[in-house]
Amino acid sequence: MRGNFFRKMAGTTKSPPGVGFMEIFWSWLGAFLGIGAVALINYRFVEGTDLVLLIGSYGASAVLIYGAIKSPLAQPRNLVGGHLISALIGVAVYKLLFPHLWLAAALAVSLSIAVMHATKTLHPPGGATALIYVTGSQKIHHLGFFYAVLPVGAGVIIMLMVALLINNLSPKRRYPEFWL
Amino acid sequence: MTDNPKKRPIRAPDLEDEDILEAMQEITGYLDITPGDFKEVYRLAYRRALERLSRAVTAKEIMTREVVSVATDTPLAEVAEAMGQRGVSGVPVLDQAGKVAGMISEKDFLTQMGVLEPKNFMSLVARCLKSKGCVALPIKKQKAEDIMNSPAVTVGADTPVKEIAAVFTAKGINRVAVTDSQGRLLGIVSRGDIVKATMLGGKS
Repeated sequence: MRGNFFRKMAGTTKSPPGVGFMEIFWSWLGAFLGIGAVALINYRFVEGTDLVLLIGSYGASAVLIYGAIKSPLAQPRNLVGGHLISALIGVAVYKLLFPHLWLAAALAVSLSIAVMHATKTLHPPGGATALIYVTGSQKIHHLGFFYAVLPVGAGVIIMLMVALLINNLSPKRRYPEFWL
Repeated sequence: MTDNPKKRPIRAPDLEDEDILEAMQEITGYLDITPGDFKEVYRLAYRRALERLSRAVTAKEIMTREVVSVATDTPLAEVAEAMGQRGVSGVPVLDQAGKVAGMISEKDFLTQMGVLEPKNFMSLVARCLKSKGCVALPIKKQKAEDIMNSPAVTVGADTPVKEIAAVFTAKGINRVAVTDSQGRLLGIVSRGDIVKATMLGGKS
């Protein structure tokens, strides 16, 4: 029994193959344009106001929706659903548990994972979206539940539109695998 | 059909890790699945597909309908002649009401001709070559009902092919009679019929 426990740590299979040059190129291009679009709007128009558009979890979403576009985790349902659900959970947990920030942080991420699983919207960057609200600045906390609309909802929709445009330009790529 | 032969899981052809890795390389784009996970999915999906296919097809879809049959009082010489002409290795024996009374196979002839534990026709050849001729014909005057296997193993028209295959294996036989609710002959399902159906994707 204990032997088996440690044997499982040895792994059982090989790592999947790497990708070709064109795949790397399209992943790069999508991420550059997707993050570029959100960042441009953020720094040109939103910066200086009370609002935010660019948050760190988009970097993680970019890996999936431009770099691993076949993954179930990268599909529109997961991208949009995962971010929105996690954003709402992050805000709610922070409001309920402030000032116990350690507990709020732990619950925000763990609850987000649980609810994303339950709703078939698992999207790893969602965990970051929930955590970002808890650990965020005064400016973020001032948003309240509007956090789920801006930055999260708006940013995610822009990233999704870029993914639909760029991922389907290559003859060898298609996105999404499914919508719902 | 009352006995339930023990379930033997059908295994998918083994895939090597190399096969999967090469296939994954053929698909452009990053697949976030390991070869190990794929193998597991493949193994389970294959088993499900086989079960679905064999459950879906029934005896009436694959049975041979034009069957040569004999009566209980048909002399064995005529039985053998009929089997020879049609090139079949077994025939159903019908009683006067047209119900299946039993089955006669090549093996039954061999047993009656003095071959103990016949494996196939070669047992008889060996016996003939070792003795002074093949005059062991105590059966010349016998009739179909004297040597037939009775009662016959029968299945209904809606019996799934999977169950028929299990009966073949469990009873060590090569054909079953398909009968209606009154026991009248509708057709025969042989091992060959199952093989043919498999090749054609379930359509006979």
